[in-house]
Amino acid sequence: MISLSSYLFISFTLFIAGIAVMIARKNIIAMMLGIELILNSAALNFAAYTRFINNNLEGHLMSLFIIVIAAAEAAVGLAIVIRFFQIKETIHIDDAAQLQS
Amino acid sequence: MFENILFFLSAALCIIGAAGVVFSKNLMHACVLLLASLFGIAGLYAVIGADFLAAAQLVIYAGGVVILMLFAVMLTGGSSDNSNKFGIEKIPAMGSTKTYVIAGFSVLVISFTVLKLMANFMKSYTKGELPAFSSTVEKIGTLLVTDHVLAFEISSILLLGALVGAAVIARPRKG
Repeated sequence: MISLSSYLFISFTLFIAGIAVMIARKNIIAMMLGIELILNSAALNFAAYTRFINNNLEGHLMSLFIIVIAAAEAAVGLAIVIRFFQIKETIHIDDAAQLQS
Repeated sequence: MFENILFFLSAALCIIGAAGVVFSKNLMHACVLLLASLFGIAGLYAVIGADFLAAAQLVIYAGGVVILMLFAVMLTGGSSDNSNKFGIEKIPAMGSTKTYVIAGFSVLVISFTVLKLMANFMKSYTKGELPAFSSTVEKIGTLLVTDHVLAFEISSILLLGALVGAAVIARPRKG
């Protein structure tokens, strides 16, 4: 039951959920939740492939770097969101239409 | 047996949490459901023997990223209420029959193609028994400072830059 295809199915479900969140939501923070789901599905794919195909640890390292990059992306993205809220008083994505306020 | 139970629990938690992120209307609930989904992914890592990865997932995501998201939600005052009961904002094409017919045909064609392409691939890589568990922390540490030392150092510089950049962007400005 614990096979590569079940892991790929779970990862596919997470990816579709992330894409649906990014398309359907208009809130910037909600879209960042979708990005986290997509990054996690990619990391899960790396770990599953390295476990079931060649059983070395390269995929684990790649998943670790994905986690690091996701943390950096969340920090900078949320700083941008908070700054945007200070300027525009909203976090709707359609209000972010110009670069300089 | 224990591995199967852990796998099913983690997979159910993961998928239900992801579906909750899609369908919940309240942004705070979406953050907490994302936390449930990330716990499920940590369980899935533990099932395939990636113990260090599961611990890092729990520490960094549950302790860092989701708390950061919750802080941002609270600082920006939650979500506005112009969405339907699935948490999805209304767009003009929603609700007309033509949209659903086209979407149904697209789903059929795409899923048929993807399954056809992946059938042989999935069949050729199924293995029955998992090997015995061995800790991966020592091997990951050795690999991280020998083979992948350049990526390790670059990620440290990336984290420093992200931290300084976040502090610079979010600081209050005069005038």
